[in-house]
Amino acid sequence: MSDLISAEKKKILVCCGTGCVANGSIKVYEEFIRHLSGLSDAAAVEAVVKSTGCNGLCERGPIVKIQPDDISYFKVRIEDVPEIIEKSVLDTKVVDRLLYHDNTTGKSFRSHKDTDFYKGQYKIALRNIGEIDPGNIDDYIVRGGYSALKKALFQLSPEEIIGIIKKSGLRGRGGAGFPTGMKWEECKNSEGSPKYVICNGDEGDPGAFMDRSIMEGDPNSIIEGMTVCAHAVGAEEGYIYIRDEYGLALKNMSAAIREAEKHGFLGEDILGSGMIFRINIVRGGGAFVCGESTALMASIEGKVGEPRAKYIHSTKKGLWGKPTVLNNVETWANIPEIINKGWEWFNSIGAEHGKGTKVFSLVGKVKNTGLVEVPLGTTLRELIMNIGGGIIGDRKFKAVQTGGPSGGCIPEKHLDLEVDFHSLESVGSMMGSGGMIVMDDRTCMVEVAKYYIKFLSEESCGKCIPCREGLRQMLNVLQGITRGEGKESDINLLLELGEMMKEASLCALGKTAPNPVITTIRYFMDEYLEHILNKNCPAGVCKPLTMFEIDEDLCRGCGICKKSCPADAIRGQLKAPHSIDVSRCIRCGSCIDICSFKAIHTARGAEK
Amino acid sequence: MRIIIDGRNCEAEPGEYILAVAKRNGIDIPTLCSSDALPGIGSCRICVVELIERNKTRVVASCIYPITHEAEVITNSQRIIGIRKTIMKLLLSRAPENEHLSNFAKRYGLWPSELLNAQEEECILCGLCTRACEELGANAISTVGRGTDKKVSTPYDEPSAVCIGCGSCAAVCPTKVIKAEEVNGTRKIWGKTFELLRCKRCGKHYAPREYIDFMEKKLGEKSEADYCSSCRKVMQAEKFRDIYRI
Repeated sequence: MSDLISAEKKKILVCCGTGCVANGSIKVYEEFIRHLSGLSDAAAVEAVVKSTGCNGLCERGPIVKIQPDDISYFKVRIEDVPEIIEKSVLDTKVVDRLLYHDNTTGKSFRSHKDTDFYKGQYKIALRNIGEIDPGNIDDYIVRGGYSALKKALFQLSPEEIIGIIKKSGLRGRGGAGFPTGMKWEECKNSEGSPKYVICNGDEGDPGAFMDRSIMEGDPNSIIEGMTVCAHAVGAEEGYIYIRDEYGLALKNMSAAIREAEKHGFLGEDILGSGMIFRINIVRGGGAFVCGESTALMASIEGKVGEPRAKYIHSTKKGLWGKPTVLNNVETWANIPEIINKGWEWFNSIGAEHGKGTKVFSLVGKVKNTGLVEVPLGTTLRELIMNIGGGIIGDRKFKAVQTGGPSGGCIPEKHLDLEVDFHSLESVGSMMGSGGMIVMDDRTCMVEVAKYYIKFLSEESCGKCIPCREGLRQMLNVLQGITRGEGKESDINLLLELGEMMKEASLCALGKTAPNPVITTIRYFMDEYLEHILNKNCPAGVCKPLTMFEIDEDLCRGCGICKKSCPADAIRGQLKAPHSIDVSRCIRCGSCIDICSFKAIHTARGAEK
Repeated sequence: MRIIIDGRNCEAEPGEYILAVAKRNGIDIPTLCSSDALPGIGSCRICVVELIERNKTRVVASCIYPITHEAEVITNSQRIIGIRKTIMKLLLSRAPENEHLSNFAKRYGLWPSELLNAQEEECILCGLCTRACEELGANAISTVGRGTDKKVSTPYDEPSAVCIGCGSCAAVCPTKVIKAEEVNGTRKIWGKTFELLRCKRCGKHYAPREYIDFMEKKLGEKSEADYCSSCRKVMQAEKFRDIYRI
């Protein structure tokens, strides 16, 4: 399938991103190939099957798209393949049951683009993902790939390229949000050689898969972005640091590098211009802290992955002490589009404190779990309630945690916040690399803080005292509170440790690590006090502080809670109010989550 | 160039660290992980100071912050002392029995009002030993693991194949947790035992053969390895006395 696809041919695009693969999409892909090859008539020759990168709506995978008819199918199973071929490939009909059906109205959509999940999105970094076979460089070229590199090499001077990136307003998508053009300029103007260009693909935030999807689904856009930068700053060597758990990303990136070299987009004498640029892949060992730029460079050098102070920028002394530009995967994927379409275009998208778009991985208690790319300035409400489709089971929204494990938890009162670098920081959180975890009223905020602090205490590099020992003691205090051993003075101790860590930690991990604690105290103080003073977990999560009760007036006696109870602790006759046997109850919360009549609630501590 | 530290005008070379300039001017900034002989890593954060430039104040580690333009530094504001006290609270909670730490806390008035959940550690992970091993020894030890379980050790906690038994790590350790045990002409360190050479002049055991070999290889010349360092000094002095016939 290396030949270019003519416009008349039907394309069957089977999503083979990690989410869909987990749902069995490889088998679906193979089934399409098997069926098509089995068809004897000429129509079969007119169709081609492609495995693509992630389409974003992993919740409803495997996803199959038929082009050019623009039909999108969700939750496709092997058994559906013959019908899809018959109706949509050999004919122009649709299989209605496999279309996207709106959660509330039940309305179906022929093209995914018209659904709530995709309608509000604007794809720049994800522009090709789901539309191309990442293993086929021609697919990328057909969609304008490597035209930015040609433009950069033959029409623009390095200064002009840097000028375009600066004026575009692009800021780093990896966490700190440093202006990208300024970074390149500093590196270009730094003395010392050789210079290096690095791509940070060590995505480690729990629940985040933005960079993974780009590396898996559109590796050439990263290569092109890095090569444009190498030309602008005068680098001949680049590194892509990919965490080793990302097997498919490693495979697709490596294959793309080889193909790009064969096509003259990488290596010696790029496109006949005389430019040299090689890209090496380095596999990360799975330490979260190696996503911090200076720790990442130490890791490439073969040293212990610990950050160093950034008083001297990496653009002056980076990898092996040489001037280095390090950008995140998503940042790199934006570069070719900015070069092609101009800085004015990019700068016109987004908000005052953040131009362009941002990819978020929307996960947690939201109906449409997946990957979304929206213009900066989109509100949290739009992201969660419209694109995300609202909260699972129509429960009450409680908080959204943005920016990875060291981001903050943002409460309902800030749902209308327009998301950009500045606004998220103003409410105690951060953009980070784009993780967005939605929580409902069955989430205990003290438990959430404890979860993140535990993660960070294991993943901190452990080099500086504020971060390592601060996290150790914070975790100890939070564990005490969730066990019912909290003291009133704990709140002040947590805040004292948090403030010190923010000010005195060596790197950004330590400086931001207290965010989950500080924001949950700021926005959910009542919940902390309820744990500490009344020994009660209102969300019914902390087991020693939880008790469930069935409201007899609301219980219809449907018996579903009784069936779901793993401890056989629920008693009651069908159609009569049920009750919970406290001595048997293991506080797992299965009953409260499954009850359709909201008849089960947590009991107050005093009543236990 | 000029910087002001605690209201005092100080001269600094471009790129010089704040701590070095302060020291030269008799301004005492407490440190736990810094050594004049080894590169700074800024891990203990006790030496933090307030740096005021372009009307902005921020907290920086003075041991590794290079001065590049005129600025003002405050080493002992309430904010800074507060940070140091909280750090000491954490450190003393990690290693409550450590004498070096308690003396240090008392000396700088940083004794905390309370201790937190106490650990029974002795090592404060200042990283002086690993740096000494890197600079002077054979890179036999490093920090191992990460997060709250981080520690200093040899690879896989096994006796290191490359350790030369120089003892630099033990010598530099401020809390004296790293011990070089010397008995019957042997030195035991990091689980490895070294035979010590005997000085041909005074008969004292003084250094492992591995260490001497390593140094000779590094320097590219034969050393006077047959004698201990104090005898070598005496012999040098005698040589000079003979030359100048004093």
